[in-house]
Amino acid sequence: MKKKTRLKYSTKRKINGFIFVLPFLIGFLLCFAIPIFNTFYYSFQEVSVNKTGGMKFDFNGIKNYVSLFKDEVTTDSQPMARLFADQNVSILTNTPLIVVFSLFLALLANMKFKGRGLVRVIFFLPIVLGLDVVVDMLAITTGGEWTQTGSGLFSQSYIAVMLSRYLNLPLSIRTSLISYVDNIFTVLSQAGVQTLIYLAALQSISPSLYEVAQIEGATKYETFWKVTIPSIINIILFVSVYTVVDLFLASPIAQEAYSFAFEQSKIGTGSALSVVYIGNVLLALGLVLLIMGKAVKKYER
Amino acid sequence: MKGKTKTEVGTMSMYLFKKKITKITLGIFLAGLIAGLCFTILYPVIQLVPTIFSDIEDLGNPNIIWLPLNFSAVSFKAAVRFILPDGWMTMVKSILYASSIIVIQIFFAAMAGYSLARVKFPGSKLVFFLVILVFLVPQQSLLLSQYIYFNHFNAFGLLKLFTKAGEINLINKPITLYLFAILGFGVKHSLFIFIFSKFFLNIPKELEEAAQIDGCGFYRTYFKIMLPNAVPAISTVAVLSFVWNYGDTYYTNYFNPDGPYLSTILSTTFNSANKDFVVNAVKTWFGLPLATDFAFDAVKQAGVLIFLIPLLIIYFIAQKWLVENLENSGLVG
Repeated sequence: MKKKTRLKYSTKRKINGFIFVLPFLIGFLLCFAIPIFNTFYYSFQEVSVNKTGGMKFDFNGIKNYVSLFKDEVTTDSQPMARLFADQNVSILTNTPLIVVFSLFLALLANMKFKGRGLVRVIFFLPIVLGLDVVVDMLAITTGGEWTQTGSGLFSQSYIAVMLSRYLNLPLSIRTSLISYVDNIFTVLSQAGVQTLIYLAALQSISPSLYEVAQIEGATKYETFWKVTIPSIINIILFVSVYTVVDLFLASPIAQEAYSFAFEQSKIGTGSALSVVYIGNVLLALGLVLLIMGKAVKKYER
Repeated sequence: MKGKTKTEVGTMSMYLFKKKITKITLGIFLAGLIAGLCFTILYPVIQLVPTIFSDIEDLGNPNIIWLPLNFSAVSFKAAVRFILPDGWMTMVKSILYASSIIVIQIFFAAMAGYSLARVKFPGSKLVFFLVILVFLVPQQSLLLSQYIYFNHFNAFGLLKLFTKAGEINLINKPITLYLFAILGFGVKHSLFIFIFSKFFLNIPKELEEAAQIDGCGFYRTYFKIMLPNAVPAISTVAVLSFVWNYGDTYYTNYFNPDGPYLSTILSTTFNSANKDFVVNAVKTWFGLPLATDFAFDAVKQAGVLIFLIPLLIIYFIAQKWLVENLENSGLVG
């Protein structure tokens, strides 16, 4: 009799497992599914306040989207398309820089030398110094012309001056080159977690692989491309995705949506902006996955 | 060296000499590279010191770059007055807030991660996909409708059973932030679930089976065996979670702007729109009529330094086991 009322052990386990993820599932519905559905819904509506103080919706098709790109401006009074273009260009150019640079940092931190502990402490410091609030606050906002050219390390350095004086590059390439070099702290400040992930991956590569490579007479260069990279190619993919997501999180687009909704009370337009933003993120991620997926396949063969 | 001629010995030592030279040059090159990178990372912090400790009226003098002419702690005092309105209690409250969020996040993320890694209930693959989806879509993009939804929070209409209106306003209540953490939507919560699930996947199955054979139930196995074994993952998540929650301005700014969070106070006080207010306050508080806009930067950067103190302390304590546990933390694998 007792056996019938008792649940089988594996069924019980499944139920308990489900209970463990239940908070997340409830959260998914409350904080993700409903809001994302509402965002899509609002973006096709003209939202206004009705007499009782609630929200009133009138369907107006894609008018919100049209006006978003045609009439509306950002808080810096720039056109919306410009904001998206700028954000995408900066994110998609900074991503490879960060992905490669943090791998480089991790390789350096993984070498054996005196004072390695201290170097690692400093290399991971961007986890703290790269917080949005810290980066915002560290930026120098006031001052005469001599600080306004940039708070970067290299903008007034001899390298920059020499580069512009002796190298006969066209001005546009030169300025963008200098601005990328100048951005080194931006890149470094975003590279903390990525370096941590890479270092963990590098440490988990079995040392016997390197031994074999050494016995077979492979050079350091060959070892890097034939042992290190294939072992961490999946981690490189993960880091690329993480970097894109992280950079989009820090972009000012969300603030624009908030300002539309609550400072100019245009909830419809703000929602349309959010929808475009989500689409943009997924598109950028798709692009990164497409490029990186090919590289992963090449190594997995 | 019996059978070798003189020239052979010569080429031999020449080879060794060359090898040594290459090694030394490479060493110097790498040391320079590492030192340079360290300097670049530390530069913004090093740069703070002369600005903060120089006399307010000396700021903006192009002749003074690294060594302040007259030392003064005025900008430091001003920053304390601005961002610590309740004295150091503000900082303590901020730290307590971040710590309690860490505990909640670890508790719920570890549970979800364990279940996703070890229990194959129907639909667990779908849940894992949802975790990834939440990670990929930035929370910020949902700010608008999250805000509206939390303004008229009805919990699927269940609240009708408890209150008359059937909805409550959750905006600007501290509980909202805890609710986010419990429901798995705290700062980068999905990443933590991911880390935990990767970690539990690598724990040997035999451990769990042995506990079950010895008569441990599901919960006892988890809390007595699995969780205590997850220290590497827990420590990694704890450090990251503390840093991100203490420095978070997104959740605190939008969902509880009046709360006692140092990050919020910092970002609202030293908003560039607030510049004149800050400069004027410095002028009147300390009797410095000649203070210029540069004073704003100095006070702001002193504020950042105060904000960073607990973070840096925690970071320096934690980094040792952060690196030690890295391999097993579930960050990779």
